[in-house]
Amino acid sequence: MRVLVVEDEPDVIRAVAMYLREEGYSVDTADNGEDGLFKGVTWDYDAILLDVMLPRRDGWSVLSELRRQNRTTPVLMLTARDTVKDRVRGLDTGADDYLVKPFELSELAARLRALIRRSAGKSQPVIEIGNVTIDMTSRTVSVDGSAVALTAKEYCLLEFLAIHRGELVTRTKIYDHLFDEYDASLSNLVDVYVSNIRRKVGRELITTRRGMGYIIDS
Amino acid sequence: MFKSLRWRLQVWHAIVLLIVLTSFGGIVHSLHWQTRLQQVDAELDRTAGVVMSQLRRLLPRPPGGRPSGNRRPRRADEANPEADAIVRADANIVAASPRADSLRTQTSPESPPASPPDQAGPPGPPRRDRFDPGPLPEEFQQLFHGDEESRLYFVIWGGNGDLLQKSDSAPTISYPNLHVGREGLPIRIVRSRPGDQTYREVIHAGMFDMNILVGRSLEKDLAAHHRSGFLLAGAGLVILAAGVLGGGWLSSRAILPIAEMTATAESISALDLSKRINVKETDSELGKLATVLNQTFDRLQSAFERQSQFTADASHELRTPLSVISAHTELALARPRSNEDYRGAIETCRRASQRMRSLIDSLLLLARFDSGAPSLKQDRFDLKPLLEDCAELVEPLAAERQIRIECKPDSCNVRGDWDRLSQVVTNLLTNAIRYNVEGGRVRVTTRTESETAIISVNDTGVGIAADQLSRIFDRFYQVDKARSRAEGSSGLGLSICKTIVEAHGGTIVAISQVGVGTTLEVRLPLATESVPAAGIISKEIDKELVLK
Repeated sequence: MRVLVVEDEPDVIRAVAMYLREEGYSVDTADNGEDGLFKGVTWDYDAILLDVMLPRRDGWSVLSELRRQNRTTPVLMLTARDTVKDRVRGLDTGADDYLVKPFELSELAARLRALIRRSAGKSQPVIEIGNVTIDMTSRTVSVDGSAVALTAKEYCLLEFLAIHRGELVTRTKIYDHLFDEYDASLSNLVDVYVSNIRRKVGRELITTRRGMGYIIDS
Repeated sequence: MFKSLRWRLQVWHAIVLLIVLTSFGGIVHSLHWQTRLQQVDAELDRTAGVVMSQLRRLLPRPPGGRPSGNRRPRRADEANPEADAIVRADANIVAASPRADSLRTQTSPESPPASPPDQAGPPGPPRRDRFDPGPLPEEFQQLFHGDEESRLYFVIWGGNGDLLQKSDSAPTISYPNLHVGREGLPIRIVRSRPGDQTYREVIHAGMFDMNILVGRSLEKDLAAHHRSGFLLAGAGLVILAAGVLGGGWLSSRAILPIAEMTATAESISALDLSKRINVKETDSELGKLATVLNQTFDRLQSAFERQSQFTADASHELRTPLSVISAHTELALARPRSNEDYRGAIETCRRASQRMRSLIDSLLLLARFDSGAPSLKQDRFDLKPLLEDCAELVEPLAAERQIRIECKPDSCNVRGDWDRLSQVVTNLLTNAIRYNVEGGRVRVTTRTESETAIISVNDTGVGIAADQLSRIFDRFYQVDKARSRAEGSSGLGLSICKTIVEAHGGTIVAISQVGVGTTLEVRLPLATESVPAAGIISKEIDKELVLK
């Protein structure tokens, strides 16, 4: 999952980005509204964390511009303003959720997961495919009831494929969503992750469409 | 309700209207009566003329001169106390005439007794010394008939007071014995009958040495006059009612915009300050009031907006370091970390807490100045060492950015709080260094203009655009947010400078040219020798108290 964090406070951005990376997300950052809007329009993020008070272009304006350009990326607004008026305005402008500063990183991560899940049309936190169960709340995978140890990136890839079950997921899309702007996109990295998942969870779960990508059949 | 403006207007209007109508009605009524009386008098005069002409026709022509000529001496031995009494009773009427004295002298107590008026009746055999016109013609008598209330009557008596002739309708009245002087002209007296004001009488005295009285009752006239009085009062009441109703309508029309304004003003609350009074006519008094009120509401709204903006900004500025602390501690505790990571997290937290402290200090300082109790010292000192101290203080920061500080101030004394003014200068210098170009220059100078000391801090930075320049003293306003954030600035520095300078009775202005640099000028009143410090004054007062 690839998220964009738009926030002008360097210390906050650092902590949020690090926490989310440890959760397995690919994180891009922007410290002002203009950059945030540019990245938000250019890349297809799974979610955007958007601060309201930003230099050069405020959060409201970034959000409305994104929506005007038909970007349906779920947006979680971060703000120090907690009046009802501000919340209503945020939700009316097209924000999907709202988090007031100071926030707990765990709550931020949970809201982010819920947002991504909802935007993929899967509101249930648990996905079951045959004998494989993916619990998106605890970020664990089990086969026939016994837990399987996956690395964060492996889990993210599996979750990404599972959320888009029945759809062909291209390698480009995987790169776009699982790696951030600083990751070197080595061509065989995805293949390595896929083979690791197959080894740990089961060979028949992920089908390879040669030259196109991967799919988990529904 | 009875205290309402409308009610009071109504009452005052009614009272004024009532007074005007009453006085007008009274004047009209009395003028009307005067006119009527004049008409009656004219009628009586005409009748007297008719009687006169009749008499003249009937009058025998005595041989040689006027008939009055040979009668006068006779009067002396005739007593007429009754007539005398009457003349005295009527003296007030006659007194108005310049002939009053002559009249009185001509009336002697020896006048012969007057024949009782009822005896006059039909004329007796003519006497030599008495005029007797004989029976009056029928048509003449008819003049003195008619109904009781308006019937005319006449009485004629001689110069000696004898009743000569009277009409059938004449009531039994006493008549004054009037005479005219030898060379006197006829006298005309108009009177209301003594003792009965409802009779109007005209007396012509001295005509052919006779007195003729023509009178009539005013009863009918009085009745008509009363009727017209009632009509007048009735009309007055109708006008009053119409006036009060009209006044009520007018006052309600006048009050209506006030009621609308009240309703609008009532609907303006802290939650909704956007409403304004609908101003239709800007030139009318109410229009002006509405305009003034609207301007007040504008100021109120902008004050509220500034206040809420300030609260939002302050809350944002306080929450940001809290978010940093919260996020970094949570991150550090999420999983086992290396010592270096922990150290980094703790350092970040320390920075955030320092930032919070300075922010809180700034906010408290502003709040203290806002509440009007800044507790400033009032020392007299030279600005030169203060500026040099501050320049020295920021020297390391300037050196870091290879910025040259030129500090060549002149001595000038001001009165105030050294620490607070140092804070101002340090702040201005820090800004001048922070927003300067690498290898730039900051120049600090002083000069005096009449009673003002001017500190000028000039930099060679990027400058500030005109539209932003007007806002740089606003709380939490930052020209370049990204840069300020990186510098750890909250946007309160210049507003604190402004607050402190203004508390010293000074002003602060910014002049800037984009690409050239910015100059901030602090103007403070010069300290004069003659004004003693606050402390000395209080000591002197103490001494005085002790001496007493």
